[in-house]
Amino acid sequence: MNGKSVLRAVALTLIGLFFLFPLFWVVLMSFMTNADILRNPPSPFFSPTFHNYVALVSGQLVTTVGTQKIDYMLNLFNSTVLSAFSVILSLILGVPAAYAFARYKFRLGEDMAFTLLSFRFAPPLLVLLPLLLYFQSIGLYDTYIGLIWVYQLITLPLVLWIVRGYFEDVSEDIELAYRLDGHSWLSTFFRISIPLARPGIAAAALLSFIFAWNNFIFALILGSSSVQPVTVGALAFVTASGIEYGQIAAALVFSIVPTLVLAMFTQRYLVEGLSLGAIKG
Amino acid sequence: MTDKTTGLFSDYIAGRISRRELMTRAGKLGLGAAAIGTMLGGAQTRAMAANFDWQKEKGKAIKLLLNKHPYTNSLLMQIENFKALTGLAVTWDIFPEDVYFDKVTTALSSKSTGYDAFMTGAYQTWQYGPAGWLVDLNEFIKDPAATSPDWNVGDILPGLLHSDAWSGVPGEPLGGPNAKQWALPWGFELNSIAYNKRMFDQAKIEPPKNLPDLIEKAVKVQTDVKGIYGVGVRGSRSWATIHPGYLSGLTSYGGADFTVENGKLKSAVNSPQCKAFTKLWVDMIQKAGPKNWTNYTWYEVGSDLGAGTSAMIFDADILGFFQQSGDTKEKGNIGFEGFAANPDKKEPTPNVWIWSLAINAASNNKSAAWLFLQWAAATQQCLFAATKADLVDPVRQSVWDDKGFQTRLNDKFAGYLEQYKASAPGSKIYFTPQPLFFNLTTDWAASLQKMYAKEVGVDEGLDQLAENVMKQLTDAGIAQ
Amino acid sequence: MSTSGVAGVNARPVPRRHGARMAGVLPYLLSMPALLACVGILIPFINAVYYSLQRYNLAFPTTRKFIWFGNYVSLLSDAGFWHTILVSMTYTILTVGLELLLGLGIAMLLWRRTLVTNLLSVALILPLMVAPAIASLMWKLMTNANFGILSYFVSLLGFHDFKWASAPQTAMFTVVLVDMWVYTPFITILLLAGLRGLPRQPFEAAELDGVPATFVFFRIMLPMLFPYILTAGLFRMLDSIQQFDIIYAMTQGGPGDTLMVFQIQAYTQAFIFTNIGRASAILVILWAITYALSNVFVKNWLRLRERARGRA
Repeated sequence: MNGKSVLRAVALTLIGLFFLFPLFWVVLMSFMTNADILRNPPSPFFSPTFHNYVALVSGQLVTTVGTQKIDYMLNLFNSTVLSAFSVILSLILGVPAAYAFARYKFRLGEDMAFTLLSFRFAPPLLVLLPLLLYFQSIGLYDTYIGLIWVYQLITLPLVLWIVRGYFEDVSEDIELAYRLDGHSWLSTFFRISIPLARPGIAAAALLSFIFAWNNFIFALILGSSSVQPVTVGALAFVTASGIEYGQIAAALVFSIVPTLVLAMFTQRYLVEGLSLGAIKG
Repeated sequence: MTDKTTGLFSDYIAGRISRRELMTRAGKLGLGAAAIGTMLGGAQTRAMAANFDWQKEKGKAIKLLLNKHPYTNSLLMQIENFKALTGLAVTWDIFPEDVYFDKVTTALSSKSTGYDAFMTGAYQTWQYGPAGWLVDLNEFIKDPAATSPDWNVGDILPGLLHSDAWSGVPGEPLGGPNAKQWALPWGFELNSIAYNKRMFDQAKIEPPKNLPDLIEKAVKVQTDVKGIYGVGVRGSRSWATIHPGYLSGLTSYGGADFTVENGKLKSAVNSPQCKAFTKLWVDMIQKAGPKNWTNYTWYEVGSDLGAGTSAMIFDADILGFFQQSGDTKEKGNIGFEGFAANPDKKEPTPNVWIWSLAINAASNNKSAAWLFLQWAAATQQCLFAATKADLVDPVRQSVWDDKGFQTRLNDKFAGYLEQYKASAPGSKIYFTPQPLFFNLTTDWAASLQKMYAKEVGVDEGLDQLAENVMKQLTDAGIAQ
Repeated sequence: MSTSGVAGVNARPVPRRHGARMAGVLPYLLSMPALLACVGILIPFINAVYYSLQRYNLAFPTTRKFIWFGNYVSLLSDAGFWHTILVSMTYTILTVGLELLLGLGIAMLLWRRTLVTNLLSVALILPLMVAPAIASLMWKLMTNANFGILSYFVSLLGFHDFKWASAPQTAMFTVVLVDMWVYTPFITILLLAGLRGLPRQPFEAAELDGVPATFVFFRIMLPMLFPYILTAGLFRMLDSIQQFDIIYAMTQGGPGDTLMVFQIQAYTQAFIFTNIGRASAILVILWAITYALSNVFVKNWLRLRERARGRA
């Protein structure tokens, strides 16, 4: 019995270490100066500095070749704008549609639902490549609108499938009772159905936000410097004579903090969200 | 700026007072070095305005696409002067080099009007030019209404100007009779050795004379000096790995990328000379190169030299220059030496990389963009950028002849001018111009990586590469 | 729609005709925006197929013409493309296989609810929430040959000069490791939920009867867990075979051609070589593979959903 417990404890410790150490180390590196980082062998003893964060926030990268501007704060802003608006748009488009799929069995609905789901699994470049060629001719390249539209590929299927499940769980009787009391369909929808499905909508919104935030390839291809989110912006930290690793680490920390914080709120809904409703947490 | 200071700078530009006098008197007026620099640039810009109407396109806006590079810094230092001179609004985007050319290709190929002018190398114009994405600058250069009479195109080193011009017909040489001027030279690099004098003294060695000598010395220095590796060269899976040291050394050994037979291209990467050279090259990296060589771009190669992690580099001369001029650990310790890889050859044969400026054919502001190109490559701007910033090697003969520039080199960069004089005669673009430049050099770099990892032997790898190259050329319809 | 007792006797009758017409049009009205989204996705898709049937290179605009299956034939007879298939398959099998094994193991360790396991369950979410491209950059910093902390640890274990992603022999190992770091929690979370939803009786009965643990594991638990394993596995497989972010951020497909998976190959063809036709063909082939796989997935997933619905 004891041997097994020891083994278990060791295993759990190793697992904890493996998954958490990189996060810990990156945070540590973000407080080191470049000289400390480059020290070989690496040492956990160093005097911490906020210099890297200051550089990012103030937008000035003081390197050996002079002072260059960094636009990382712009990248953070872009990530926020793109993710938030994509989610909002998906909710507007997706919640009514999810309701329709849940309540009414109509063939076009099943086809649409399946198409959207299957595109969640299609290679993104397949859609991005032609889109890039259109976008440039209609002027949507490197714009928020263009990207928010394309981000629907990520967020809309998620909203649809999760919220649909929740609507299916909302008892139709309550809705019917409300309607029989003389209320219109629209007010039933807004006063009864949506509030009852609120947990699902919240889950879908939070998860979609996280996935939109973490997206890389869409912004890489359809965006350029003005709308670059943090995932793409983090690649840009090289300078001519001196790569500032401390600043890269700080930038990485900035880019993961929002999603990690949100994840704490979505724990409860994570299982359902991730499995698209196939498994109830 | 007061009249006194204005007068001072005009005097200097008109040649009435010497530089030393300018600095002394400006200092007495309470101006610090940086302020002097900026005002000098401004004065030079004003002088330019004397004979030519720079305000022709006033009120328009241009957007630039630039690479993350010290040249860009030198440009941006003075961009306010340009805006004042021309009344143009200027915005720009900067990308690091590993995505920079992807961005350029995307922007140009989509015929987007987003960017008006951009930085490019000569090689890239071989793809962009024939595809119709670039403006032939001859239409501006040869037009007296479009170009200031003081601009003096003849002052630009002719070899460089010709290298940026090509007719687009595979097999025809650069700068030939039907050549179109796709880009304007702005700054260039030769390939030579930059080394850490302190480490070389410690290992009691002299700069290497040829490639086998280099390998031996690189191994010796990394044994004698702890914690470093011998020689830094590029190795990332990209065209940028082939053009500096590798191609310069290959040329020295008598190899080439193509031979031209009856106007048709034939791949020469598997020639005996190429095989012999490549074996040595791969051997050098395996014995004395950086640990993650396959990820090394010029940023890493230069950074290691400056940080004291490598003893020498065989790469662009300006890379050593940046390490010597910037605030690096090994600043002041860098020496420069011309290099001929082949023991049987005395003269170096450096391949040349020319950073140039070009105009997007889809731009709506071509004349305004030309004003920008003209200004950036004008004598005053080149002189300023070479003496006060890091725009070396300058493309104009007058800048090389300038006493102030020579003083700067001799004071802080001992050996650089000698290295340049030794390397310059044999310097040119040794690539054969053809539009599949990116494809073939990227595949070549991938092949080198495989050889380095011993996935394939050098002979076999080069044979496969030659076959692959011919297939691609045939598919594109430009080989036999 | 059911009319239950809630309606009661005193309820006002629902206006019948209006209701019937509404029921007809309403679903379409509600889902119209989503339909537009569908159409918005289908158009580029069809376009991509169209490009794949042409010789289309942006740098050679005059040579653009229809060559029907020319691109496909060229790809299938190109050793480089078969190499891409091999690399993608290897990556997929390694990541999915290892993640399933590790994920199952961890789920079983976390099955029992204690303070530690609850904390760990929460902590495990974190890697999953990091963008894969960012995770790749984090690992790239940690595995840097000169100063990376992991390079240091590994050298303490005796592996000097471990090249991580710079050498072909170890590059695959490195990116698979990053993938495992990001995605094993995904499998763990799903399997854990599945485990916790299993009925207790068979296990209690087996314990009472003294049935050996291996039997319980292989003959009782695994079969019951199988639908979840299949769902999780297929989900991951569909993502792995089109992996882009992690490999792009780490090496852009190098060293050499070691990590040239489908989407990286397509990206190289499209954006560096401007060969749109060939890139589209690669993507269509990839899509066909994922389409077949996703059909299998959806069938299984729907079945699982019904089961979850039934139990809830």
